Amino acid sequence: MKNLITVQELDFVYPDGTPALFDINLEVGEKEFIALIGQNGSGKTTFSKCLNGLFKPTKGNVFVDDLDTRDKGIIKQLVTKVGYVFQNPDHQLFNRNVWSEIAYGPKNIGLSKDDVKERVIEAAQVAGVHEGIFDTHPYFLDKGLRQRVAIASILAMRPKTIIVDEPTTGQDVRQSIEVMNFLQHLREEGHTIIIITHEMRIVADYAERTVVLGQGRKLLDGPTREIFAQPDILEQTFVEPPQITQLGQALVKKGLPNDVLTVEEMKAAFKK
Amino acid sequence: MEAAVVFKDLEWRYEHRKSFALNGINLEIKKNDFIGVVGANEHGKTTLVSAISGLVPHSYNGIYKGSVDVFGERVFDSDALQLATNVGIVFSDPEAQFTAMTVEEELAFGLENMGFDLSKIKERIDWAAEITLIQDLLDKSPYDISGGQKQRVAIACVLAMNPPIIIMDEPTSMIDPLGKNLIFDILRRLKEAGEHTLIVVEHNVEQLAPLADKMLLMYEGLVDRYLPTREFFSDPDYLQNRGVLAPESTEFSQWLISEGALPAITDLPLDLAGGIEATRQALKKR
Repeated sequence: MKNLITVQELDFVYPDGTPALFDINLEVGEKEFIALIGQNGSGKTTFSKCLNGLFKPTKGNVFVDDLDTRDKGIIKQLVTKVGYVFQNPDHQLFNRNVWSEIAYGPKNIGLSKDDVKERVIEAAQVAGVHEGIFDTHPYFLDKGLRQRVAIASILAMRPKTIIVDEPTTGQDVRQSIEVMNFLQHLREEGHTIIIITHEMRIVADYAERTVVLGQGRKLLDGPTREIFAQPDILEQTFVEPPQITQLGQALVKKGLPNDVLTVEEMKAAFKK
Repeated sequence: MEAAVVFKDLEWRYEHRKSFALNGINLEIKKNDFIGVVGANEHGKTTLVSAISGLVPHSYNGIYKGSVDVFGERVFDSDALQLATNVGIVFSDPEAQFTAMTVEEELAFGLENMGFDLSKIKERIDWAAEITLIQDLLDKSPYDISGGQKQRVAIACVLAMNPPIIIMDEPTSMIDPLGKNLIFDILRRLKEAGEHTLIVVEHNVEQLAPLADKMLLMYEGLVDRYLPTREFFSDPDYLQNRGVLAPESTEFSQWLISEGALPAITDLPLDLAGGIEATRQALKKR
């Protein structure tokens, strides 16, 4: 399978000399659902900004669809490959109404008026943004809807890979399920989804693959079930597996599995 | 025990809204209880606590019926000083409440306004800074510190005023896991001290449940359930329908009871340690 993103021996040092990432290797394929986890300051956000070309590697390489993110003037192409949805949609929304917000990206890459219109309508529909609010100022929408507008503005660029920073922060259970099911749907439509999150229940429920960062290094990378079965390494970056996973791990000697991800799985394991 | 807060048939509709945010609240909160408030967004959690702090009705326009009493004083008729003396509130976005150049000035602001003398102000600041572990931050600008530190400063500002009722409205929703743990440590210390009525709105039920004496579920502008915490979580399916998840240990232990793997009288575990112990017993019986 073709890689969408290839990261080779990536080091990143901020312009002020602060080193942030060390020797990261990663391959991202098509239609993956990946969670990027680790404590604050572990490099999650810095790393994701290396994936969309906002930050250039200090050492090593990042290739997106065979494009080298270090090449000059590459950003215009990269924004159509990797989209990044901010944790706080308000950091991203700056236009005076929903339509211009979603149209901003496509206009900026020089698409014709008709193409822009087509992109906006398509993205809004996929993201569940009704035409009725196209003239509304984004700030008058509730947070869930503002996030959808933010996602629509990214979708309008038709990127294969979408990175979503903290998709469920501040959302209640139902809203979280809604946004995660929506990301799941995008994945089924052919996108690769990378979420950055601290919510381990969300990781357990949705991400098939988990990448763990700690102090700027990749500590673990693999199927989520195998990742959560290694609490000792997770502890280095202050990540705790879901409570039910920990419960099983505390009772492995009594015959419970060390890698259940949900309460339903634990019920099944107990019945055995 | 004395009542800290009493709601009688409280109805409230924000101006320009079609429906009432609170639909007839009757509620009594006992002094020095720790109340966890949960429920889906837009079902009245924040409005409920705003009606205790006095933000509703004093800072919003709207239609207000019924009453809320805080230590016997009617919120509707209270002035800002009375309200600030009785109730302190911490929001999810701490920056919204900062005004000063240093953390120490921030802490002193409310106390100076209350007219305390300098030695008293210093004593209060030291006490609040100690509980919230921000002694090292006093000289810093409140804008120059991490999100978790900001929230601890915001809590310290409220503690410095030492109101008998402390409300926190989603205090950890914008903070990373380590920062969250520190906030819950502060709540634990306050609960152990037992000198405050604590009302905490939180989606993070796994950390809230072990601390709360009672849990309150808001649904469609009404108090849908208000029960001692163990009783509250004994029906996970009901809660899930209302958009609230029980802690996983609690949900699993409740299932063990419903399957007959544990006796029904078992105290329902609210945290991981309790869940492990309950499951261990169930495995022995198996």
